[in-house]
This record gives sequence, C-alpha cells and structure tokens, in this order.
Amino acid sequence: MRKAVSRIRLQRLTRRFGSVTAVDAVSLDVADGEFLVLLGPSGCGKSTLLRMIAGLLAPTEGRVLLGDADITDVPPRRRDLAMVFQSYALYPHLSVARNIGFPLRARGWSRAAIREKVAEVAAALDLTELLDRRPRELSGGQRQRVALGRALVRDPGAFLMDEPLSNLDAALRAGTRAEISALHKRLGATVVYVTHDQVEAMTMATRIALLDKGRLEQVGTPAEVYDEPASVFVARFLGSPAMNLIDATVAATAAGLAARAREVELPLGIDAETPERPVVLGVRPEHLAIAGQGAEGGIRAVVEAVENLGSEEVAHCRAGEARVSVRGPRPLGLRDGDRVRLTARPEHLHLFDADSGRRLAWRPAPVTTPA
Amino acid sequence: MDETAPVGERGGIARRAGGHIMLGLLGLLCVFPIYWLYATSLRAPQDVYELSVLPWPLSLDSYADAMAKNDVAGMLLNTAIVAVLSALGQLLIGLLAAYAFAAWRFPLQRPLYLLFVGTWLVPFQATMLPNYALLGQLGLLETLAGVIIPTLCSTLGVLLLREHLMSFPKELLDAARMDGRSAWGILWTVVVPTLRPVLAALGILLAITAWNEYFWPAMVLQRSNAVIQLGLRSFMGTEGNDWGPLMATAGLACLPVFALYLFLQRHIVNAFVRSGLK
Ligand SMILES: Nc1ncnc2c1ncn2[C@@H]1O[C@H](COP(=O)(O)OP(=O)(O)OP(=O)(O)O)[C@@H](O)[C@H]1O
Ligand SMILES: [Mg+2]
Repeated sequence: MRKAVSRIRLQRLTRRFGSVTAVDAVSLDVADGEFLVLLGPSGCGKSTLLRMIAGLLAPTEGRVLLGDADITDVPPRRRDLAMVFQSYALYPHLSVARNIGFPLRARGWSRAAIREKVAEVAAALDLTELLDRRPRELSGGQRQRVALGRALVRDPGAFLMDEPLSNLDAALRAGTRAEISALHKRLGATVVYVTHDQVEAMTMATRIALLDKGRLEQVGTPAEVYDEPASVFVARFLGSPAMNLIDATVAATAAGLAARAREVELPLGIDAETPERPVVLGVRPEHLAIAGQGAEGGIRAVVEAVENLGSEEVAHCRAGEARVSVRGPRPLGLRDGDRVRLTARPEHLHLFDADSGRRLAWRPAPVTTPA
Repeated sequence: MDETAPVGERGGIARRAGGHIMLGLLGLLCVFPIYWLYATSLRAPQDVYELSVLPWPLSLDSYADAMAKNDVAGMLLNTAIVAVLSALGQLLIGLLAAYAFAAWRFPLQRPLYLLFVGTWLVPFQATMLPNYALLGQLGLLETLAGVIIPTLCSTLGVLLLREHLMSFPKELLDAARMDGRSAWGILWTVVVPTLRPVLAALGILLAITAWNEYFWPAMVLQRSNAVIQLGLRSFMGTEGNDWGPLMATAGLACLPVFALYLFLQRHIVNAFVRSGLK
C-alpha cells in the first residue's frame, strides 16, 4: 500500500544559528521511491537539513514541499514522515510492542488494529520474540530494528534517517546496511538518509547529495559523484585512500595539452592550444599505473611507505612537493625508497579550477563567425 | 576476605570493624530520640518521667487520653488532605513550569526562569504577612484551602524537575513529535512516565514537608486545631506539658511519614542520587 506522491522538494532551504549558517540555500528534488543519501563531514549541516525536512526545526528561509503541498509551516505530526534517530530514541518505559505501536496510538487506532499491525511489522523485522522486552533489555542491533519498526508501522510518505547505523559495530553495520537496502527495494519508499560514511552512501544510495559547510556541492548517482566529482571537496571526500590532488599548470606541449608540475607531466589527450592556467590535477590511486623507468612523462616519484590492505597494497610516494598514493593488487612490487614512474590514462585525469575548486571540462571553443 | 574487593582495597579486619562500630554508634545517636518518644508514649501515665530504657509495664493510656482530649483521627485526616493536595498541586505546577522551561523555546525564557528562581531567595517571613492579608480578603482564613493554596507554587519542585528534564534526551521528545503527539500529549505519554521515579520522590518530599509544617497552619488556623501539628500544642500549657498524650500524638503524627519513607525509600534515594550525578 504505497502512497502516490512522496516526492520531496527543497527550495533554497536555509538555516542560520546566530552568525553560523548551518544550511545554506539548499535546493534539492528527491523523487518518489528514491534513496537519497545526504553525505558530508561532521558539522556540515546534514542533521540540520534533515530536521528541517522533518519539521523539528523551522527554516530561516526557503520552502519544503511534499508532493504538491507546501509543508514548510506544517507541524511534524501532520507531515506524514517517519524518522529514525541516531540514538534510536526508544521510549524507555514502554515495551517493544508499545514502542512500535506508539505512532498508531497517537493517531487513535483501535487496540486490535494496533496489535495486528505491530505483529506484522515485528514479524518482518524478526522482532516477534522480543515484543515484551523493554529497550534496555535489547542489544544495539535489536534496538535499531525496533526504531526501524516504529518508523515502518505508519506506512509514512517518506522515511528520514539520521545516521541510524553509527552506533553499531562494523559487522552488524554491514548486515543492517543490506537489510535497509532490501527494505527500500521491497517498499519502494522514499528515503532521505544522513551519514558521514562514504561506504554507506556508495552502497545504499540511488543518489548522493554531498554537503560541505551547509552548501550542496554535488548531487548525483554514486557512480557520477565518484567518477566525475564536481569539486575538489567531493574528490577528496570520496574514495579511500583519497584522490591524489596536485597543484599543476595546464600547458600546451608538442603532444597536445598536458598537466605539469615538478616531476609531473601527464598528457590530457586533448590536441589543442590554450593559454597556460593553474589547475588542481586529480587522479585516483587505483588509476595510476607503474611504468618502466625508460619512458618519458608521467609522475616521477619516490616510494615512502607501502601499506598492505590484504588483497591490495597502497604505496605512498612523494613527487616534487606533492604526495601521491598508488593502489593496486598485492604485491605491487615496490619497496621504501624505490624510484617509480607513474602514468595514468587521460580519461582518468580530473582538472579543477585552482581558485574555485570546481571541476573543469574541456569544451572546444565554438567557431564564431563574425555577424 | 572479600573476594570481590578491588585490588588494594582489602583493609585489615580491625580497620573495617572500627568503621562499622563508628557508623553503628552514629546511627544509634540518630534513632535514640525517636525511640524515646515512642518509649515515653507507651509508659503508664504515672511512669512518664521514668528513665528506664525499656518502658515497662506497657500501657496505651496516653493514646486513649490523647484521643479523648482531641479529635486525633479528624486531625490526621485533615493533615493528610493538606499534605496530599499541597504535594499534588506543587507537582503539577512544577511539572508544567519545568516542562516549559526545559523542553520548549519561547521569548524571554532565560530572564523569566532567573526571575522565577529568584523567588526562592525571598524568605517566607517576607511573604507571610501579605499572604495572610490576601487570604483574609478572600475569606480563606480558618480554612484548609487557606493553608494549601499559598504553598502550591514550589520553586524547589520547578528547579529539580527542570534539571531532570534538561538531561532528558531531546531526541525522545523529537521522536514523539514525529510519531504524532502534541506538546501536551508528549508530556503525559513520554515525559511523565519516564520521570515517574523523580516525581514520586519529589511528591513524597513535598508531602512530608507539608505534613510537618507548623508555622503557616498555625497562622491561618488560629482558632482551631484542624491539623495534627497544631493539635500537639493543646498539650503544652503554661503550667507544664502533658507529656504522655503529647508524645502519643507526636508518635501518631510520625507514623505516616515513617510508612511513606520506608515504603519508598529506595525511590527517594535513587532519584536524588541520580539528579546529583547527571
Ligand atoms: N541548536 C543549534 N544551535 C547552534 N548551532 C547549531 C545548532 N544545531 C547545529 N548547529 C551548528 O550547525 C552546524 C551543522 O550542524 P549539524 O548538526 O547539522 O551537523 P551534522 O552534519 O549533522 O554533523 P554530524 O555528522 O556531526 O552529526 C554545526 O556547525 C553546528 O555547530
Ligand atoms: Mg548529525
């Protein structure tokens, strides 16, 4: 039983706390059935944004729309949104059954109807055995499922989740991640999910919205934000180890355009002329290949340390002023102090504006005919 | 030796025994006056000045005497009414005020709270006469309502409950709002049940205070001995005190307090220990 319209639209949503702008003019369109992950470092305004969608916090400016209705001034209890909190926020004085049934009781459902619905949700979440326990008698993972059940029981228009997995240990987190994804697929519900964990974002999201200091940096599918980061911030935030970022200059060479820095010369695969300009050159550690010593160009680096990740190895190197890491299957065949030459295919190179940090794309100048 | 004692905490037997003896003596010192009160009330009227530790022969004459001279049962009932209504009123008002101060935002919240706390510093003696005059104008002198109403707003209750509510997890209130409760609904379905131990402890404390109050009832109820603490004064005269019935009445007056305390002692201690730790 799905509701037709649970599309959420945010229009220039802003929240200031005194002089701090926690959320800065965020506009975002969450389609019906989408799993949107709000991702960003601690303090970037994720929770603030989510709480404004929930109605727990009034925006300083901007609108929130659910379906076609403007709900900016509608109190939370009339928004048809369910929320899962980081601390789970289970009512300590109520049994699991009554915790799950709480939203229904608040809406005046009959006892029998509540019992039936709670039993159904509990069965789906494997909580049937625990219905008579109090929250303090549950493990972290069980509490998390009860919190999920309390959100599910209402069949809400959309789910809001604020770091629901951050209190679980690594193994449980991976399992629950899969469970929530499966739940989303089964219900086809709209989910707005807050996390600072890039693995959660990459694995669960249909789209990721990256926030930095209250501003929306990029919105896109996991592949889009990973393969074509819109800014230096996004490039640095996603990926482990992070993308190599080198201050460089784009200049014309005999073989077309190339990005250059001390000990670095990487061809961009563009046969054109352009005035020299400073850029930030980005290349992911897994896209660097170790080349033979004889050839020309590439990154000439000295290995400083090699990290063993089990199936892979990461070599941390120095090239001029820049630090560069290389990632590849184990063994890489590198040792501390080795001199290596690293190359990358032009399509794997990212260029960002040195001042604004925004992504640069090559667009051939249009042939202008004088009017 | 105690196998569960932390390393380095296994004091010598002598030292630990010494500690226990010390505590035991202090305990006796505290309990002795109360024991003496009951001992005296149980002596026969002619033995009231005896100094023997055990009252013998036992006699209930003092109790009978007290009941005959005063309507002790009526007094106990009146006192209970005053204590219960006063405690409930203070709890309710304290709860509402503390909830507003702790869980919601409104203009001038901080100055209002400080002003409110400030009233705690105004001594009883300063408000006593204006209150008395006001009760006179309202025609409430010589009534139990006159005893109860001026006590209803307790700064202590508001302070204590606000502290507890401040450490109350805010996400719980948010969750209840998302789950469809209004502010009023949240108070009764989430806040009150969670604060039950604290409310019980505070209620008992307030009830015992109201029960033991002497001065204010004595002012309002000048012509009657409607509450038990006033009843005591009828056995104190210029030509000496009538110790037997006095002690018997006092003993009866203490019983409900002891009962409450014994019954709910764990609650009280828990609530205050927790409020201290948080
Ligand atoms: N009630 C408040 N009063 C003042 N400042 C606040 C308040 N709530 C949040 N902030 C500020 O707004 C900014 C964003 O906070 P927010 O809680 O949204 O971050 P977050 O992205 O959820 O971080 P985390 O991952 O640590 O939970 C922070 O700088 C924070 O200090
Ligand atoms: Mg947060």
